[in-house]
Amino acid sequence: MGRLLLFEVAPNWLAQFPKSVRSQIYDPFFLEGPSIGVLEELIPILNKKGSDKDPVHDKICSSVERLLVLCYLKKEGIRQMVIEFDLVEKQKGVAVKKDDKKSVSRVAQLLASIPDKIRPQASSKLSSFSFFKEATVQLIAGAEEKSMQLPSVCDTIEKDSPQNYAIFFVGETFSRIIRRGSTDIVVSEMVPRIYDLVKSLLLSYSNASLPSVMESTPKFWFWLYLVETMRDQYSIERLAEGILRQLASRAVTDTEAYWILWLLFNRSYNHTGTIRAMFVDKFILWKVFPVSCLRWILQYSIFEVAPTMEGHVKWQKPPHFVDTLQHLVTIWSKREFVQSSSVEQQAYLTAAVGLCLEKMSKQELETAKDVLSLILQGVSCRLESPIDLVRKMASAIALTFSKAVDPKNPLYLDDNPSDVVDWEFEVLTQKKVIITTSSRKQFINKPKTPLQEKSRENLGDKEAQKSILIQEISDKGVEEDEKDHDSDSSSDSSLEPYDLSDDDSDLNKTFTQLADIVAALRKPDDPDGVERALDAVEKLVRASPDELHHNSSDIVRALVHVRCADVAAEGEEESSEEKRHKALVSLLVTCPFESLDVVTKLLYSSSVDISQRILIIDVMTEAALELSETKIITKEQQRKGNLITSTSQPWFRPGDRGPVGAGPWRKVSGPGTSMLQNWSHQYERELPSRPGQRKLGKTRKWSVANSKDLQQEWSKNRFPMYAAAFMLPAMQGFDKKRHGVDLLNRDFVVLGKLIYMLGVCMKCIAMHPEASALAPALLDMIRSRDVSYHPEAYVRRSVLFAASCILVALHPSYVASALIEGNQDISTGLEWIRIYSLHVAESDPDTECASMAMNCLQLHSEIALETSRALESADRMKAQSRTLPSKLDNIIIPFANMN
Amino acid sequence: MASARPPPDPVAVLRGHRAAVMDVSFHPSRSLLFSGASDGELRVWDTVRNRTIFSTWAHIGAAGVYSVATNAALGNRVISQGRDGSCKCWEIEEAGLSRKPLFTIRTNSYHFCKVSLTKTPKSVQTDGGDSTEVVNIMALPGEDPSQVELWDLTAVKRVMSLPQSSNSNLAGQTSNQRGMCMAIQAFYTSETQVLNLLSGYEDGSMLWWDFRRPEAPVSSVKFHSEAVLSVAIDNICNGGISGGADNKIFMFSLDQQKSICTVRKEIELERPGIAGAAIRPDNKIAASAGWDHRLRVYNYRKGNALALLKYHSGSSNAVTFSDDCRQMASCSEDTTVALWELYPPKDRI
Repeated sequence: MGRLLLFEVAPNWLAQFPKSVRSQIYDPFFLEGPSIGVLEELIPILNKKGSDKDPVHDKICSSVERLLVLCYLKKEGIRQMVIEFDLVEKQKGVAVKKDDKKSVSRVAQLLASIPDKIRPQASSKLSSFSFFKEATVQLIAGAEEKSMQLPSVCDTIEKDSPQNYAIFFVGETFSRIIRRGSTDIVVSEMVPRIYDLVKSLLLSYSNASLPSVMESTPKFWFWLYLVETMRDQYSIERLAEGILRQLASRAVTDTEAYWILWLLFNRSYNHTGTIRAMFVDKFILWKVFPVSCLRWILQYSIFEVAPTMEGHVKWQKPPHFVDTLQHLVTIWSKREFVQSSSVEQQAYLTAAVGLCLEKMSKQELETAKDVLSLILQGVSCRLESPIDLVRKMASAIALTFSKAVDPKNPLYLDDNPSDVVDWEFEVLTQKKVIITTSSRKQFINKPKTPLQEKSRENLGDKEAQKSILIQEISDKGVEEDEKDHDSDSSSDSSLEPYDLSDDDSDLNKTFTQLADIVAALRKPDDPDGVERALDAVEKLVRASPDELHHNSSDIVRALVHVRCADVAAEGEEESSEEKRHKALVSLLVTCPFESLDVVTKLLYSSSVDISQRILIIDVMTEAALELSETKIITKEQQRKGNLITSTSQPWFRPGDRGPVGAGPWRKVSGPGTSMLQNWSHQYERELPSRPGQRKLGKTRKWSVANSKDLQQEWSKNRFPMYAAAFMLPAMQGFDKKRHGVDLLNRDFVVLGKLIYMLGVCMKCIAMHPEASALAPALLDMIRSRDVSYHPEAYVRRSVLFAASCILVALHPSYVASALIEGNQDISTGLEWIRIYSLHVAESDPDTECASMAMNCLQLHSEIALETSRALESADRMKAQSRTLPSKLDNIIIPFANMN
Repeated sequence: MASARPPPDPVAVLRGHRAAVMDVSFHPSRSLLFSGASDGELRVWDTVRNRTIFSTWAHIGAAGVYSVATNAALGNRVISQGRDGSCKCWEIEEAGLSRKPLFTIRTNSYHFCKVSLTKTPKSVQTDGGDSTEVVNIMALPGEDPSQVELWDLTAVKRVMSLPQSSNSNLAGQTSNQRGMCMAIQAFYTSETQVLNLLSGYEDGSMLWWDFRRPEAPVSSVKFHSEAVLSVAIDNICNGGISGGADNKIFMFSLDQQKSICTVRKEIELERPGIAGAAIRPDNKIAASAGWDHRLRVYNYRKGNALALLKYHSGSSNAVTFSDDCRQMASCSEDTTVALWELYPPKDRI
């Protein structure tokens, strides 16, 4: 009958019925019928595939859609269905068979598939968003209504009994909706309802009585059973996750959240292992929730007790507690975990471990032997990390641990101790601040304020003040004396004392000879002398006396070997470290070659330790920056200024004199001279056409002013001449394992710093010819697999930094000429950078690595674009001159796949 | 004290010496300052214009000029003592000093004691007027370092040596125990106008000699635990101040009737070593020059500290006041001479 109506009547006649007839005769047939049956009738029709143009099919479909809206959305047919499942149980043998669960889930499947099956032009009410929303509301309403009718003692309900079909149906439908990716819709409908229920309950009952109250109130039954009836593990997980996130955004109290979780998951949590595993394993080890969610998860799944306001009520720990903690700590303490998981994940797990530790007492920690040692191991391997946040995590755990062991004697590894540990670590909140290379760049480009100027100002001020003071004082003295002049005896009172405070800062003998400084630095038994030497050394070096060149290597060696920590007074280690640092920088700047010779030798010598190696590298970085005067032209300028040709002029080019309007000199290589190219250069240039002669063609602008500017800026950069001395020795033998030197594994921090330093050096010679000479070497180094795929994110970050520095430093025209000459080093290196950054951006667990890689890719595409422009112009040149080597024809452009 | 003024800076710094300046001395009436450096240079400065007006290599020797002394009684002359074993007396002329010293005394002493001209009490100065009546005596360290020799400057001859070398062995032994004479100050007593002498020794003891009884000291005291380095007598010759190598300054008074020297005030310092001490002619303030680069100014009457002057960057060697009490000069290893104006007195019109 239904089919007949649909297939025959709908297409042909329905349009002709008046509206009233339709609503009275045609529609009620479907509306009055059992909604489950109707659903089973209607949906398959939509499924049938007619040709798109078929008007009959079209009409049938539109009428079915109309009916669906009418039945299930307007008339709350879905709610009806929920109730109907139960009716079925009472009046057995009705047309539709629901005695087996399969049919229930089939109906659920049909219902959830409606939005998929409708045609695109169907009513928006059937679109997945609004339909699922409406369906969820109705399902919940129906189920709640239904559960009121269930037998009073809920435990009597058997799982498979038809009484349960209604809830089973709801669960099935939910899981299908969730499978279709609409978790949010379900959750956003569910949460407010549960929340209100739980809240009202919490007002009137205490924690202890809540479980029994919930189990005895029919209102709650539906919620108690819902998750249990859902069979689809994935959708349960999504549901739980959705609920947690929703709760977190709602600022729910801990108690409320606990009871909501309890209400939904308790039955299955106690019975089903998978649910337990979901909470304990998946939600703690694999997912990252906000910290508040983590607290609820722990509270519910691990502590298994409702949070209480009244502090330390003796709380019986569940049997799993220690096991779970041990499990967590085992993973947390692994070095691989620190290396390979993202920062958020690490912070999350750290917070989990920390929150668990807070609940432990000393005895418990002692009984669980492994936990103790594992925590120590985890803390120590984190403390070694060069990443600040990771160290912070370690100190947070250490603090919590020490508090658990001895509350009176907390252990602060941080500089600024605070009792409350912030488990969010600034990464588990919504806002994420990632320091990218761009910010580093800014730092590099920031011009230093000239120190001398400042101090001179100060000095001037001071003198002025002093002279004023003297005047005042002498005036005052005279006046007073005048007053007291008459009585000689009282005149003593005029002798008003000055400020008698004294310090011995000026007393210490200051060093005036470099040799004295070296001698003093080598006497570790005279800490005062060492300290005074440290005070004086920078000033003396900056004055760059004549003998500095002879003494510099001695001073450098002495400075690197001096033990500031032993020498300095308690609490002043940092300032003396800083002095040493500054002194070394000044040495490297004032006489680079001599000092570099020593420094680079020391870098890999077994007589220095890691901190000294790091010091050396830091110092070299800073010296490079200072030598370059940080006068790197900003990128925009570079790109604008020298798109094709305007580089600074090499010394061997002919002068620019000539008729006005003459073109610039261009290098040509004559036939057969390729061997001698390095020895003799030929140049040609365009001369302006004679008056009267007109030539059609391109006009090219050679911006003289611009190139002049660039030259001026560059001339301030003293670094390029020292760049090779800085970089090459440091790159030599970094991968060799020697006594006390193991950069690739143990001392990865040094390796990271070293690569960073090389990157900075590269940046400092940006756009200079030296850059193109040194880039291949650096590329070679970072390309080695041990470096570029180093397990520590810190090293990978520096590799990416160095790579982007290379990209910034290389002049496009050089890249182009390297291509023309067939220089494989550069082209393969650049291609490697691209592939590597792509790889990192896609699959690196460290978010900062990924963002740096993106940055790198962007730089790469920029340089690719400009190189291709340079190549174009070279092409053009070739067309004009016909003298370029024929190699140009078969160049493989590595950037071809970029566009 | 909380709102105490910061210590003043020097009003002028006289630079020009190429070596540590060992001693300074004001001209008694003119605005001149004499300074001697350890390279043997003797400079004359104009303290109004703060310029060098004359310079001479007074004592070429290992340690150069050691001491410079002027005195009202000496008039327009200046005595310089060198570590070359001689003392020279120079005439002050319009353009500086005489090219050659008026006379040279061979002392053959090569140690650390500065010469002392005889200090005349104020009352005597104003009363007498004719200083020629008073025998102008200079005390200087003898050839035997434990001895003090007294020289008559008008006659340029040695008057006596203390302790007298003709003394018995016992005295010689005791003098040996005291060690070298490190500081001397000769003065006339205010009442009797008899030449008296205070001498400080290496072991910290001080002897008070009376010219009339040269065979034995009038009094012997031991304030310092280490060598006495400087002794200064106030303008009425009733007391003085002494500094030593230990970390103490003593202000003492001399009771001339009973010939007793008593400590009036003991001042303890943070750092040892007082190389020079001086009392301003109006007896209001006293100053000391320390090895710790600092000059300390004290209220001479009460003995309380008034100022701590940190200017010199080397050990201070001497300090002196001008006769008009307006200026103070200090000299230091750092080759500078600093002029100070502290607690200037009111002009007496």
